[in-house]
Amino acid sequence: MRGGGRLSLFAFALLAGGQSARAGDIALGEYLSSACVTCHQKSGQVTGGVPAIVGWPADQFVAVMNSYKNRERDNEVMRTQAASLSADDIAALAAYFGSLKPAK
Amino acid sequence: MIVSRRSLLRSGSAAAGVFALGAPAILGQAKQRVVVIGGGPGGATAARYLAKDSEGKLDVVLVEPKKQFTTCFHSNLYVGDFKKFEEITHGYEKIAAQGVRMNHQMANSIDRDKKEVVLADGSRLSYDRLVVSPGIDLKYDSVPGWGREHEETMPHAWQAGDQTKLLKAKLDAVPDGGVIVMIAPPNPYRCPPGPYERVSMMAHVLKAKGRKNAKIVVIDPKEAFSKQGVFQEGWEKHYPGMIEWMGPKTHDGLKSVDPKTNTVETGFETYKNAALVNVIPAQMAGKIARDAQLVNQSGFCPILPESMKSALDPNIYVLGDACIAGDMPKSGFSANSQAKVAAMMIRGELLGARTFPARYTNTCWSLIETDDVIKVGGAYEAKDGAIKASSTFVSQAKESAELRKQNTQENIGWYAGIVADMFG
Ligand SMILES: Cc1cc2nc3c(=O)[nH]c(=O)nc-3n(C[C@H](O)[C@H](O)[C@H](O)COP(=O)(O)OP(=O)(O)OC[C@H]3O[C@@H](n4cnc5c(N)ncnc54)[C@H](O)[C@@H]3O)c2cc1C
Repeated sequence: MRGGGRLSLFAFALLAGGQSARAGDIALGEYLSSACVTCHQKSGQVTGGVPAIVGWPADQFVAVMNSYKNRERDNEVMRTQAASLSADDIAALAAYFGSLKPAK
Repeated sequence: MIVSRRSLLRSGSAAAGVFALGAPAILGQAKQRVVVIGGGPGGATAARYLAKDSEGKLDVVLVEPKKQFTTCFHSNLYVGDFKKFEEITHGYEKIAAQGVRMNHQMANSIDRDKKEVVLADGSRLSYDRLVVSPGIDLKYDSVPGWGREHEETMPHAWQAGDQTKLLKAKLDAVPDGGVIVMIAPPNPYRCPPGPYERVSMMAHVLKAKGRKNAKIVVIDPKEAFSKQGVFQEGWEKHYPGMIEWMGPKTHDGLKSVDPKTNTVETGFETYKNAALVNVIPAQMAGKIARDAQLVNQSGFCPILPESMKSALDPNIYVLGDACIAGDMPKSGFSANSQAKVAAMMIRGELLGARTFPARYTNTCWSLIETDDVIKVGGAYEAKDGAIKASSTFVSQAKESAELRKQNTQENIGWYAGIVADMFG
């Protein structure tokens, strides 16, 4: 993880404290995550070509999902999933998966 | 703690409903019960999510006769020597440890008026909500000349288990120059790309064993099939001359099969003494759903797309292959996705839990040859009274070997993921 990610995470936390609108809705995120965990294991365990997505900084999670949504990053499964998600949905997913601990 | 007005209202009305029915559940302080019939992708996922997310507030019972579940998904990989049988077979121990009460027997019938399930041993299980996910039954009268008594001679292997092993043994015994005939099923059926992935795996085994003069003929009642372009491109590339696919116009209709002589007769050809005949017949919802009259004239169960609730009974949810899921194919992935919507909606109804608009998803990967996997998938939502695709994709012709190899790795990862999600 580059330093920039941490910095913006800090800024995000400040913002979130002042105004909760930007913080993802964890309950919504938990429900939406049920679609992700058919492939991405909730435990953070990695098998084959499906990466772990738990414990990421929220801003990076949002950036990656947006790059699928904008059809920049390749992968048709992820582009198709991202296409059906709103900004609030993506923020909710970032908050939920960010709250999970990666496998040791 | 902040309780929204909506969730207060909802839990209030749920409680009122329970009192109105005079359910002893509340009076006797007993937990409300959800019974789940069928421990496949639909039922196992629903039971696990209900138990896990209700944190012990619901009594969740999973009724499934098998102690070990062999997944149909990746059973073609077993046929193709890419996986061992044990790798596609899973127990229910972890689900049980997560609070699901396992009841290993058949459910014989559903008494919808009394809200009870009658089990094979004659006992009755009352329910507040029932989840029905029995999968498909085969229509044994849909292929002329073939019936249940012939499934050992001409296996279907469309329900995984001994049938899968039988098909594999017969495939391994096909001699060089032998002919395999597959009778493909009509729509709608479980796993639209499944027959064609199986054909690929059969060709892979024959090629690997050096039996390149063996041939596979597919007699299809459909004019087109899932991922057809990329499957056929892959067959040409990896198995030139080995696979002949024919739709109804080019074979002129299946006339009959004769299990005694392993003969298949179409309008144009007769295949005598085939080395292997794989009959995949037409399909319908599992018997328990049909007997309980949860089906319509199609033989499958209509559901409400917002919730997966039966359109015919407000206390019952129907999942997976047995239901009519609009644009979603009958797949393990679909059943798993539908189960999570149903589990959330049931917790909403019984516990006043927060609910969100239903979202569904599916992807089906198919292995054509080592490191060559194609895929099709979509995201879905409730729209105009049905489950409709909001976005979809399918593999394209002439994709790079690198991409197909990535798909292969995804397929492996997905299997581990869905099994962990279903069985804990
Ligand atoms: C060759 C093949 C390949 C496939 N490949 C894929 C794939 O790659 N990806 C994918 O997503 N899907 C795939 N599928 C499809 C997938 O297997 C099915 O769609 C999925 O199993 C459906 O799940 P289900 O819960 O509806 O039913 P099922 O898996 O059939 O489970 C139903 C369960 O209910 C039990 N049951 C039935 N009646 C009763 C009763 N009365 N009482 C108690 N228990 C009962 C049965 O014992 C069974 O265990 C494939 C299928 C086949 C045949």
